Amino acid sequence: MNELPIIVISPLVAGFLAWLLRIRGVREIIGVAGSLIPLALLIKLYPSLGERLEFTINVAGFKLGLMLSHLTWVFSMIAAVVGFTAILGMISTARDNWEWLFALMSLTGVLGVFMAYDLITFFIAWEIMTFASFMMVLKYNRHASLKYFILSIVGAYAMLIAIGLIYAKTGTLTFPEVSVAFTQDAMRRMMGGSGLFTKTETMLIYGLFLLAFGVKAGMFPLHVWAPDAYSETNQSYTAMFSGVLSKAGVYGFILLYILMYGKLVVEFGHFRSAPTFGYIIAFLGGLTIIVGGILAALQEDIRKLFAYSSISQIGYILVGLGVGTALSIEAAIYHAISHALFKGLFFLIVATLIYRTGKTEFKDFGGLAEKMPYTFAMAFIAILSLAGIPPLVGFASKWLIFEAVIHENLPILGGMVFFGSAIGFVYLIRFTYAVWFGQRPSDLEGTKDAPLPLAIAMGILGALNVVFGVAPGIVAQELNKIFDKPVIAGNIWELDLGFGRYNGLLLTIWMVIGVLIAAIVYFLGANVRRVPVTDTYQSGNPITMEYNLTIRRNFFLPLREVMAFWLKISFDRLYHDIWKSIEDFAETARNYVYNGNVQAYAWYLAIILVILAAMGV
Amino acid sequence: MLGVFLKALLIILYATLVGFMFMGIIRKVTARIQRRIGPPIYQPIIDTIKFLSKKENITHGVIYDFGIIFALGATILALMFIPLGGVSILRAYGDLILITFLLEIPMLGIMFAAMSSGNPYAGIGAQRALLTMLAIQVPLGFAIVALAEYYGTFSTYEIVMAQQAHGWSIFHLPLLLAAIAYDIVLQAMFGKEPFDIMTAPGEISLGPMVEFGGKHMGILQIQHAIGLFAETLFFSNIFLGGAVVTTFANSILNTLATLGILLIKQLAVLLLAIFISTIFPRFTIDQAARFYWKWPTIIAALGAILASL
Repeated sequence: MNELPIIVISPLVAGFLAWLLRIRGVREIIGVAGSLIPLALLIKLYPSLGERLEFTINVAGFKLGLMLSHLTWVFSMIAAVVGFTAILGMISTARDNWEWLFALMSLTGVLGVFMAYDLITFFIAWEIMTFASFMMVLKYNRHASLKYFILSIVGAYAMLIAIGLIYAKTGTLTFPEVSVAFTQDAMRRMMGGSGLFTKTETMLIYGLFLLAFGVKAGMFPLHVWAPDAYSETNQSYTAMFSGVLSKAGVYGFILLYILMYGKLVVEFGHFRSAPTFGYIIAFLGGLTIIVGGILAALQEDIRKLFAYSSISQIGYILVGLGVGTALSIEAAIYHAISHALFKGLFFLIVATLIYRTGKTEFKDFGGLAEKMPYTFAMAFIAILSLAGIPPLVGFASKWLIFEAVIHENLPILGGMVFFGSAIGFVYLIRFTYAVWFGQRPSDLEGTKDAPLPLAIAMGILGALNVVFGVAPGIVAQELNKIFDKPVIAGNIWELDLGFGRYNGLLLTIWMVIGVLIAAIVYFLGANVRRVPVTDTYQSGNPITMEYNLTIRRNFFLPLREVMAFWLKISFDRLYHDIWKSIEDFAETARNYVYNGNVQAYAWYLAIILVILAAMGV
Repeated sequence: MLGVFLKALLIILYATLVGFMFMGIIRKVTARIQRRIGPPIYQPIIDTIKFLSKKENITHGVIYDFGIIFALGATILALMFIPLGGVSILRAYGDLILITFLLEIPMLGIMFAAMSSGNPYAGIGAQRALLTMLAIQVPLGFAIVALAEYYGTFSTYEIVMAQQAHGWSIFHLPLLLAAIAYDIVLQAMFGKEPFDIMTAPGEISLGPMVEFGGKHMGILQIQHAIGLFAETLFFSNIFLGGAVVTTFANSILNTLATLGILLIKQLAVLLLAIFISTIFPRFTIDQAARFYWKWPTIIAALGAILASL
């Protein structure tokens, strides 16, 4: 039973050692080992998941602890695998010792969040994670990090108040006991009793948790921190930041289901076939898909594009969670896995591109497919996966979400997820065109392919993208264990829902056959002659390398024109304005009240004393 | 096993042939409407043979070659999943969502190939193609949602069978709305006016197609033929009742009758598209997006909401 704390603590310890030692080579080995230990131990613990895996200590009367169930194992594995690859990538891209410390610290934090057994551990781990990721951003961009930090703090306070309310009423903080308390409360309400929590209190707790988890997941309209924070840090770390840390928010929503499902359903009822409280989450998730996707298509910075894309994909997960059937929750967790895999891969690719070229904006890229074939191959996998092209993992999970949502007769959400899949194509092709194809700027002539650690990290994630796509049943059967019943039937190649079937292997075989037939037609034709990129049809105008004709800037200008009205509405600006007015208020207060004059403060004191005396204190 | 492959090959050949015939019909009918004589109906086949037998072909790199091979392969894959009466190979897995996605994949291959050439016309064509796709996706999504919610299943084959018992989809109000929206979407999927923005002949030199020649163009012609066949077949299956003939004792006769009925339905879908395309001039891309996000979306969403009640 002692493995659990080791899993959580080992990255932190390794991070401290790496930070202290400061020896190149040793630092990297320690860091990678620190992220490998949780992965190895989680795999080792897999056979004994059936038993109760717990670790508890008593601190001042509170039982703090860690726990590993099927659900938490799945999430911890996401963290461990993507965390490991991100740390591998950091061998190439880390600039300093503190990056090792805080990257590994946030891995500890997120593992703690996933494996927490009670709300206190959950909250502490949550704060460690937030702090570490804040520090990772702070060193790159102060403004972005502060925006992230302030929203995170708002979320954290919300969570703290909610936890306080729960503790005040139930007197317990461990998940099973809180869950039982809420279930009993729901029962009492159904019988017509008054219940422990009133409707207002339930709504308050729900709202506070929604705020807390929504911030971390990047849910619309709380997503404003994510594009800046994701882009303004070490991009290898962003693989973990976006791939794993955002899943802490997703896990939080699942926790909401575990703890309060019955109570929330009893208090707020159903909207059509989904629970009302879930439908709110799902609807916000749908908006997140659309907003994130459209903004991703309009970005001029490669990191921002993927940051917004990340937000958009989290929207899918929220839609799945919100619908609230066993199938849709499994679909959501599946998409959480595939999002971690392909978005982790994408950010490692971005890390490679920035590491090799030092550029971040689309206008400076072009024609890199020839120079970086391996990275391009990985980008190809990632693009197919995110766009939801069978037989990659992105399709399997998206397909499940589509079927789960539409089968519940929720047409508006169905339309939203459809829009999301198209917008995914749109921004990915923009990335493909601007970075990999077209005329190459002359300063990129000497670009080399990915360095070895990044190549290995990308290889791991790329392979997993393919494997879990061709054999989606591997994941599905693991997810069935969470619910202890075969929600998704079929074998390791096939997902069978009763009203829809998908077979990854069969599809792969026929795709290979189709491509083979096409290849036969191709090779029957005469030989091909290779021509340079300047030798294209231009209505008679000769093309030279001096003029770069590849469209890199404002690629989706018509979309911007169509969306002009909606783009004027910005929540980021709204929050900035609110912040500004708070600052103005503080400034006024400083000028007139806290003016630094000792005499004025003496007067305040006197007035307060008079008031107190008048009140008879 | 061998039988399955033989069947698959026959289906591909049939689809290619009919697809080329469709392409010929498009040219012929358009010509007749414009009071020209028009080329013979087999003209696209001759064109393709000529393309494929060019003595020299040019390429812009591996992606340029692979993209078009991938496009044709994916089209063949999509074809296998769509019910073709009693003969289709993978109809048990013919999931609505899967087919909708599969019908979009070929475009991704063409985009990759076109963009890798570095031609700016191809770039702008890709941009327009993607925005068209984004525009059509909303009504398309609602139409698919309406179907799935009305029939309670995602299996295309089960939807076809349900229509044998309860009449064609378009005779039910929610699905009629969905079908209208889907048909407007189909106009853009075919790349016909007023939504031929992505190729826009005479404006951006055929957009993504500008660089292709020789056997690359030949393969894309085949891809286009099969794609036309697959898209019309999918529409006939989900909205026009498909076809399952069991009146004859002989299974070959049954199959032929099925194919014949499907062909008539496919032709009806195609002719409607041709008539619309010859009448209307081209939209600009932002007009197309605004159009698709207005009327077809409202119609399809209404259908989806009615179907879910």
